[in-house]
Amino acid sequence: MPDLSERMKKKLPIPYTDFLPVQIGDNVGKWVDRRFHGHGIVEHISSSGDHIFTVKVGSPANVRFSTDTLRKFNKIEDEYGIGSLRFTRSGNVELIADSLDKAEKLKDEVEKIGFYVGGWGNTLWSISSCTAYLTCTTAVIDSPSLTKVLYDNFYRYFTGEEELPTKLKISVGGCPTSCGGLVADLVLVGHYGDAPSYDPERIGLCLPRKAEALDVAVPEIVNVCPVGAIDAFKKDDNTVGINIKREKCIACGRCKDVCDHIIFDPDKSGVAIMVGGKSSNTGSGPELARVLIPWVPVTLPAYGEIVAVVRKIIDIWKKNASDGERLGDYVRRIGLSNLQEAMHIPVTKWNRTGFGKSTFGIRQFQERGA
Amino acid sequence: MKTDSNHQNGKLTGIEMLEYYEKGPWPSHVNEMKKTAYPLEVYASGLETRASPWFGGSAKVRYVYVGFIARRSKDGKNTELHFRVFQPSGQIYRTETLRKLLDFSDKYGLGLLQVMGQTGGLIISIDPEKADEAVDALRSLGTDIGDTGDTFRDFASCIGPALCEYSLFNTLEARDYYLSYPPIYEKISNQLFPFKVKLKFSGCPMDCSRAVHRADFGFIGTWEGAPEVDQALLKDKDKSGQISMEDLARNCPSSSINVSVSGDLSIDPEKCEKSMNCIKRAFPAIKPGKTRKIAFMAGGNIKGRFGPKMAKPVALLDDYKQAEVFITSVIDRWEENYPHKDRIGDMLAKEGFSRVVEALKETLPVAPNGKPSGQTRIIDSAVLSDEERDLYATWSRKIMDEYRGA
Repeated sequence: MPDLSERMKKKLPIPYTDFLPVQIGDNVGKWVDRRFHGHGIVEHISSSGDHIFTVKVGSPANVRFSTDTLRKFNKIEDEYGIGSLRFTRSGNVELIADSLDKAEKLKDEVEKIGFYVGGWGNTLWSISSCTAYLTCTTAVIDSPSLTKVLYDNFYRYFTGEEELPTKLKISVGGCPTSCGGLVADLVLVGHYGDAPSYDPERIGLCLPRKAEALDVAVPEIVNVCPVGAIDAFKKDDNTVGINIKREKCIACGRCKDVCDHIIFDPDKSGVAIMVGGKSSNTGSGPELARVLIPWVPVTLPAYGEIVAVVRKIIDIWKKNASDGERLGDYVRRIGLSNLQEAMHIPVTKWNRTGFGKSTFGIRQFQERGA
Repeated sequence: MKTDSNHQNGKLTGIEMLEYYEKGPWPSHVNEMKKTAYPLEVYASGLETRASPWFGGSAKVRYVYVGFIARRSKDGKNTELHFRVFQPSGQIYRTETLRKLLDFSDKYGLGLLQVMGQTGGLIISIDPEKADEAVDALRSLGTDIGDTGDTFRDFASCIGPALCEYSLFNTLEARDYYLSYPPIYEKISNQLFPFKVKLKFSGCPMDCSRAVHRADFGFIGTWEGAPEVDQALLKDKDKSGQISMEDLARNCPSSSINVSVSGDLSIDPEKCEKSMNCIKRAFPAIKPGKTRKIAFMAGGNIKGRFGPKMAKPVALLDDYKQAEVFITSVIDRWEENYPHKDRIGDMLAKEGFSRVVEALKETLPVAPNGKPSGQTRIIDSAVLSDEERDLYATWSRKIMDEYRGA
């Protein structure tokens, strides 16, 4: 019997050099130039004279793969590549070869099994999706199916068959936690659209049993609310009740994170469409996306309203972007309210927060002039 | 499933929706899952009721306190167990290594993987009955489960020097270093913190690992002064039409580029904001400058008490190791004093970023020199009245009609 407490010492997959194929291991830190071959193949040139070609393959929503499909990728890679592949931070799969001919073979073979190659240059680089109804307990809308529908509608921007002004990244989150982050050009966030109620039979499971406990500590469900919209009080029978103040609530769902018995009405849920996020220091620098439209209806299975609004935003950007301008840089240049006006979007307090003058990221180390 | 009642309403049933998502040009996640033992009927019921079909579940694996997520379906018929698995830095695998992980998934799980979780882990769905055995099998493959709950999550790095020309420090080595740094490694197996802690490492200002927002502690490669210009190579590129020096100058976001009468391109070292615009277009004729630095930042997050935050600037480092004592000191302060669900960014907001940096500056070998920007609170949800919802619904349907007509 092995000593089970050994499990407390995590086995880490380090050092990274143990995982690299020889052709890459020999060239770490030696890459001196790159060339693009179409929208799906990049050539990396090493000072050693070696050339490596990576082929970017788009993933199914929420990057869910069967072992069957990954075995097929493995087989293709073994036949034409250098026997190595990688998963990118945005969830694409990269197959790797040592000549352009072989890279094109890799492309042909993955296309034969139904996948698309693209995602570099002036294209849609990725649509990143959280797990939502596939795993998550707090999801409001199902981001994987929405992501699938978006890719079905816009995959020509991924392959480069249709070009964009520059790269576009989309992130789809199923709840206001927005696990994909707010640094994509376009961020779609499913949310409840209204304040919650609760299951009166079960809410007690999330509260202290006796009212005396309120003298000692604030219940977590109260404490977790960032805007103080939940109060706990002593009921006549000396148990604890809660009161949710709709006028204060922002429907962020933090209460639902700590208590499964908070209830939101699915008929009121929708998707907020946010624009202008970016992590890269290019253009006007990194910024968090802002709400362009706070609520668009969620109509399964085709999500017609959301697809139309996304198409409209892309079309406006395509028409008006200056040379190589990211969607975020474009929106920040013209101003959020001007874009809203041009699109005739109704404005309420939920989509009034535009972009400030602050700069983020490494620009915060820059000396600020006048 | 409320199949019949929904049919009467003219809506699709969950099963019919699955069929819908099997079609269409883009590879279908439903088709992928059909090839596995994943309980698709649970997904169908979620789509039909328009709510997550999962409740939190529970699982017990001896001596394992982080790394798995248990779920039970709301109808009580199904359970699910996820293993979050540490990936090697840069997420590069040799096919033989990946094949072993796929064999592992088939033997102990459902034959289903999520290859890039939002935290960065590789997620493998496991048969709950085999969980205990699976942990040791995974460890024998040289990796482990981790990365869930109130602990250190899987740190992330861009591909860095392994396959990128722009990388200004070794992000892969840095991630390995911090994962195994003893004060961090000792806590990685337990959930001792108020909330999660993430570290991310990006080799250049393009920040592919999104260290600027999605990490409590972020490292971004940068340089001081102007980029390096190879005038002869640049002129060749200009002549051959690969680039236009005039365009580079015009498109520079900080207007730092000047082209002289003799055709030399110069970049103002004071004004350059490292936006990479000229470098991306003219590489390697224009390259990052030689005085390399690592911008070290703190307090970024998506999920936290005060909502999504951009990271604040701590110091420009000469080496990624210079931040190690600062990081553990911040964590100690946070661990002792802050309530459940407060992120490090929330602590910095409550105490004041500059005050915390001032108090801990002795732990840094270089002087803190960031000038933190103010940030508006961003709310990505909304509490709307029925009238407001109608207003937005009508507006969005108008857009839909516009395209339908076209």
